[in-house]
Amino acid sequence: MKLKFHHPEPSARELTGPRYWRSLDNLAATPAFKEWVVREFPAGASELEGVNRRHFLKIMAASFGLAGVGLSGCRQQTLHLLPYSKQPERMIPGVPIFYASSQPGPEENLPLIVETHDARPTKVEGNPSHAATGGATDIFAQASVLDLYDPDRAQRSSGADGQPMSPDNVTDKLSQLVAAFSPMRGSGLYFLSNRSTSPARARVVDKIRQKYPLAVWAEYEAIDQSNPERTASAWFETPARPVYDFAKAKRVLSLDSDFLQTEPGHLANARGFAKARSVEAEADMESMNRLYIVESHYSLTGANADHRLRCATAQVPAVAALLAAELFTQAPLSSRQDEVLAVLKKLGAGATVDPKWVSACVKDLLAHKGAAAVIAGSQLPVELHQLVTLMNVALGAVGQTVTYRALPDRPPAASIADIAVAIDAKKVQTLVILNGNPAYNAPGDLNFAAKLKTVPVIRYGYYGRQADETSALAGTFIAGLHYLESWGDGLTWDGRHVPVQPMIEPLFEGLGELDVLGMLAGDPNADAFKYVQDTFAAMHPGKSFDEWLAVGVAGDEAPAVSRDDVGIRADALAAWTYRAPEVSEKSLEVRFIPGAGWDGRYTNNGWLQECPDPMTKLTWDNAILVSPKLGKQLGVAPEPVLMNKLGQTAMDANTFVKSVEQAQIGEITVKGRTIRGPVSILPGLANWTLVVALGYGRKLAGGVGQDVGFSASPLVSAAGAMACSVTGAVLKILPDVYQLANTQEHWSMEGRELVREANITEFHDKPDFARELGLEAHAPPIYGPAKVLSPQEKAVEIPRGQMLYQTQPNNEPQPNYPAWNTPEGRADYPTPQQWGMSIDLNTCLGCNACVVACQAENNIPIVGKDQVRRGREMQWIRLDRYFASGPGPDGNEQTMEIPEDPQVAFQSIACMQCELAPCEVVCPFAATVHDDQGLNTMAYNRCVGTKYCANNCPYKVRRFNFFDWNKREIGHFNEGPLGPDYYATEASQLTRMQKNPDVTIRMRGVMEKCTYCVQRIEEAKINQRVKAQGTGNIKVPDGTIKTACQQVCPTQAIQFGDVSDAKSAVSIAKASPRNYAVLGYLNTRPRTTYLAKIRNPNPEMPDYHNQPLTRLEEGARYKMGVAEGAAAAT
Amino acid sequence: MIAEAETTVARPPEVLARVQPLASPARPTLVLNKRDFHWITDKVCGIVEQPAPLWWWICAAVAAMVASFVPIGLFYLVSTGIGVWGLRPPEFWGWDIVNFVFWVGIAHAGTMISSVLCLLRQKWRTAISRTAEATTIFGIMCAGIFPAFHVGRVWFAWWLFPVPNSQSTWPNFHSPLEWDVFAVNTYLTVSLLFWYMGMVPDLATLRDRAKVTWRKYFYGILALGWRNSTRHWRNYEMAYLVIAGMATSLVVSVSAIVSADFASSLQPGWHTAIFPPYFVAGAVFCGFAMVLALLIPLRSLFKLEDVITQYHIDCVCKATLAIGSMVAYVYTMEFFIAWYGGNLFEVFTFINRAFGQYAWAYWIMLSCNVLSPQLFWFKKVRRNLPLVFLVALLINLGMWCERFVIIVTSLGNDFLPSSWGYFTPSVVDIFTFFGTLGMFGLLFLLFIRFLPMLPISEMKHVLPEADPHFGERGHITTGADGVPKGGGL
Repeated sequence: MKLKFHHPEPSARELTGPRYWRSLDNLAATPAFKEWVVREFPAGASELEGVNRRHFLKIMAASFGLAGVGLSGCRQQTLHLLPYSKQPERMIPGVPIFYASSQPGPEENLPLIVETHDARPTKVEGNPSHAATGGATDIFAQASVLDLYDPDRAQRSSGADGQPMSPDNVTDKLSQLVAAFSPMRGSGLYFLSNRSTSPARARVVDKIRQKYPLAVWAEYEAIDQSNPERTASAWFETPARPVYDFAKAKRVLSLDSDFLQTEPGHLANARGFAKARSVEAEADMESMNRLYIVESHYSLTGANADHRLRCATAQVPAVAALLAAELFTQAPLSSRQDEVLAVLKKLGAGATVDPKWVSACVKDLLAHKGAAAVIAGSQLPVELHQLVTLMNVALGAVGQTVTYRALPDRPPAASIADIAVAIDAKKVQTLVILNGNPAYNAPGDLNFAAKLKTVPVIRYGYYGRQADETSALAGTFIAGLHYLESWGDGLTWDGRHVPVQPMIEPLFEGLGELDVLGMLAGDPNADAFKYVQDTFAAMHPGKSFDEWLAVGVAGDEAPAVSRDDVGIRADALAAWTYRAPEVSEKSLEVRFIPGAGWDGRYTNNGWLQECPDPMTKLTWDNAILVSPKLGKQLGVAPEPVLMNKLGQTAMDANTFVKSVEQAQIGEITVKGRTIRGPVSILPGLANWTLVVALGYGRKLAGGVGQDVGFSASPLVSAAGAMACSVTGAVLKILPDVYQLANTQEHWSMEGRELVREANITEFHDKPDFARELGLEAHAPPIYGPAKVLSPQEKAVEIPRGQMLYQTQPNNEPQPNYPAWNTPEGRADYPTPQQWGMSIDLNTCLGCNACVVACQAENNIPIVGKDQVRRGREMQWIRLDRYFASGPGPDGNEQTMEIPEDPQVAFQSIACMQCELAPCEVVCPFAATVHDDQGLNTMAYNRCVGTKYCANNCPYKVRRFNFFDWNKREIGHFNEGPLGPDYYATEASQLTRMQKNPDVTIRMRGVMEKCTYCVQRIEEAKINQRVKAQGTGNIKVPDGTIKTACQQVCPTQAIQFGDVSDAKSAVSIAKASPRNYAVLGYLNTRPRTTYLAKIRNPNPEMPDYHNQPLTRLEEGARYKMGVAEGAAAAT
Repeated sequence: MIAEAETTVARPPEVLARVQPLASPARPTLVLNKRDFHWITDKVCGIVEQPAPLWWWICAAVAAMVASFVPIGLFYLVSTGIGVWGLRPPEFWGWDIVNFVFWVGIAHAGTMISSVLCLLRQKWRTAISRTAEATTIFGIMCAGIFPAFHVGRVWFAWWLFPVPNSQSTWPNFHSPLEWDVFAVNTYLTVSLLFWYMGMVPDLATLRDRAKVTWRKYFYGILALGWRNSTRHWRNYEMAYLVIAGMATSLVVSVSAIVSADFASSLQPGWHTAIFPPYFVAGAVFCGFAMVLALLIPLRSLFKLEDVITQYHIDCVCKATLAIGSMVAYVYTMEFFIAWYGGNLFEVFTFINRAFGQYAWAYWIMLSCNVLSPQLFWFKKVRRNLPLVFLVALLINLGMWCERFVIIVTSLGNDFLPSSWGYFTPSVVDIFTFFGTLGMFGLLFLLFIRFLPMLPISEMKHVLPEADPHFGERGHITTGADGVPKGGGL
């Protein structure tokens, strides 16, 4: 007799491993239970002696009853239910519970609300109680929940020879360490930790410092963003950092600062920036902000800039000096003017920049004194930040757009270079590494991995021996906890105190960071929860700890610091002996940027790896990004394909063969150190700058991140002012070709009015310009007689769907509701709410957060690099990126060149929920149908997969399950049933815990797409019906439902709601004159419409165009407004 | 009126006598060398009755081997997922639907030749009708494989039929794919019926000549008790005419409906009103070419020059040329309308077809389909059979490319440039397609081996002997006594 349980037989490893989450197996594995099941009849049943008929029947009935428990023979698999013997409080099956927490980061903790289903965290959202971020999150926060269930993460601690260590062993080991170093007062004990904002941790670290006064505490982040803080602290002589309020800034100058995407505080920055950038009506013309940026990489901030100056990062300080000099010339200083100017002129000597650009920019900034801000990239030298402070003072920004906020006073930490020196000097007896991964990402010139081998290392970390380079070198490895399973706290960017709460019991035998530090501080009964509680009590006397946990944010913003003589400290400037290095084709610059895995810490996260970079659209790889000019010189620029030779389409920026990017391998050499990687052209880079993303090329990263891309860390230098870039590089092209998984081949919009944009002046003169673009402007009224109806009436009155079986007209009840078919009943019949969406292209930054949030919410699988190369990526939201180069010098459309200095526009495209959906009419199985709320629904069960719907979708938003993405493992799709069954693996037991139980897992052969998060809509409707209790008030109030993409959006570019309600936010957005439908002429009547993008260029700038470049391109192509465009271009 | 009638009556009969009607040009003889009824029976039945020649065994073995790619490829496809094909967004259809339309096109000539030419009383059709109909049946069988298996979950494909199922949902009759199901199935049914019914008298001949028991039973059952009685013939002729009439409408409908898969969509390059006639013309075009490509080798292998004469080849070549010119007209018209319509997406699609990434397919299509049939203007070419054979193959290649151009290039570069992509077939795609070629070949070889390849009875009808005026027997005239004289058998 074969017994089959829905769990596989537990392996030996599992039986000895952690038990709480597989207790069912463990129960099933007990000898008593097994014996009970294996026996054909329960005890007593087989001993039939001297029974009468009645007794026999009783036993047989009992036997048959029990037979169903464990015996096979039924057609369906037997599943087991273990009801709670004691129901946990508030836990209702199927109803999620939300907890407040935060995601720790080096400079800020991101306040979160975490959704848990049956005590499994499944999705994180921002915490709206924190006003600055307003409930927004970024891609890293969204993807962090997947890290919790990473099968490759550390499952237990281990000793020197890889022997597993129990938590008790770890405690012993740590007490030995304490015993060994306490008498020596910590001499020879070195700590290398990540940066953290946690006050609780700081308190424990203080204890450690007290206990071991001679020990060295160093902090290290591969991507160090602490320079602004360092500068401000020195300037104000108290710990402080500049916090910008971009909502107040009308004019912003960014010096190589990607403050909207990669800088700390970026969510608050983006929120404020969008507020100042949004234009609701033409009257907002004056209030719209203007962004100038000087940068080498084409960052997302650069993508949203009105004026962009391409400049090598190494020369940014020089350009900044010129800008500052111009500023102090136009707005003379009260004293020491000449001295300062002389210093600045000297500093700016190496920069080549159009003086008109500088003077017009500064003039504009000065014209908005008090509402202007200058921000510099945190990677830039401290001296530059001083200069920026000076400029902000001169612009009257301090206290207005920039506030210097106090930071907790913490003793200074040593750097990783100090540790390296100490190791060389043989001073290190034990090195304790907390988090981070220095063996992988320490600056190349430290040769840190080799040094680690020479000292005893105790490593505490979240990734285990097999998945992390540093752990592999450590003698003792202590398994850490994910932030979703540990206690902690932290500070937000503006200084509020936020908790880190565990959502789930630790999945494995890890220890919390605070626990380990507490033990090191000599407290054998260290308790993280107690530390957090104590810290809270100390910081917020009299406040309720429980309330803090419930709300998730405590305290106010950190107080502003100021000093009266904040003015001029020219002496500090004069001491700055900076000379802009030469950056040319012979001596290139390498600029390092954070990659999809940041500095390598998220490398093993499939969602992040598969999320296309917003600018390059590359997945699963980093590349040596080069400018078109350099690419051409190196001979890696593509040949025009046939169409391009005829001048019909713009030339691709890279070589694509069969839609796969073919990249030549390049070799960068800087001071004898070399790295190799594929070379890819990105329009808009500074001519002689190579941009390389960090966090790739991990040798021990786990199943997802292993050997993805190449590591740029060897080139990073610990010495020198700017760790973010090195100069003097040489790039050599090797003959090898590498295939990159690029999700967007073509960069040009080809004169099609997909993203519609205008300059603010045009918007002012003609607010509804967007409706006069595109083919529909020339088409007859698409609504026929219904054109006179209001949008609300249109949404309800016009029949929708193209199915044979039309949905009921909207104001009529379904025929199968008899109660509503009486006259009184009909009066009560509420017209279903009509869902629609509006996306503001003006405030959409292109940050990708919606893409990952959608993936997390809707159980969207990743498909791996090979399948992405075949174009089969599954994300329901696609972020289209279009460059625009404008007409060529002769006024004609320029097609034979890759643009060197293009404008860029993003367009987030998901299912538009067309009212006349082309997909619906062509499905022979009636698998995609319209419902009475205006949703274009997908009945996965009904889908057989003809793919006709996807062909007929003009927006190409449908995704097809070409393989069993969920059941098969990446890399084994082609093996079919012969390949490994992922569901049968232990890893699947973990990753499936992340899945949203409200959303189906789709099998192969089925089409899928965005559904406006129908599970959230239905949940809200059910809640509202419960609340209505027969009052008939079953309309969900506006704003109750937030789609996953809307909720995550830092700039609130996405509005969702009932379009049949004229007062809903989405209706108000759609009433904007900027509102338009993509490909509206097709009469698909999409429910998702877009608000046109407005640019705000300065007419006095040398790079001013009187129209956005896409419009000029279109004009040149269709010979409309050629003269205007040509005039502007020259 | 009365006066007119009177004048007519009053016309002197000698005027009529003076009328010298022009001698109508002699109809070409359809069977050469004065072959008689008996020769035809022996010739056609002999192919079936004599042992198969060596070349047949070799061809059948090769075809069977190639045909085995089909089940292997489909098994892999169904067990693993359609990702094993080269399909990718935005080309959710690729070789699968190209092959489907290609085979549906091949299937067109048979019905066209049998039914339309039958109704038009084109007697030259008799010699080639049977083989042409066979290509129809086998073409449809090959065609059906692709739409059935290109779906993601083929085990649910039966939901296409309006039968009760657990979801209580009927198929969506608005979908052109649903129309396809009915169009193709109807076409297959009627074509099969037409083919089989036409074969019944010949099967009876084979039955009557059979010397082996299994043959007696095999052909006996297939012959449906045909006894060659006048009543049988009368019913047969009537039924044949009726089915020919039905099949004629299907010639137009099936390809027109297949074209609706594309024409009823929104895709630039698909969304055009010219598609139904275009697809019918294209289908007949490649069907005729396929018939040529099959007949020319068969004719020489089986020494059938006396019944499949140069005149037959000429006729098919001319028909091919005529239809090919229509196809060329459509190609031109598509471009013209794209320009004239002023829709920038349409304009782009057509320029892109000719000069974009897929230009190779477009120019193969154009040179094979438009240029190569122009050779058929010349009698010399039509008499050069190897050349005719080559042109026929080229046309088939060109027509395959035409379907590729229509389907793949339209999908590859449509509305949003962000979603453009290039389609590349996978090995499984290629092997499955060649597998269907093998399958077609194998079925055809089995057909010529076991069934009468030429319609025996119909060919006898076109012999001079079948003419009531043949030989000494003149017109039936009425004698002075009003009794018919002369004529008759």
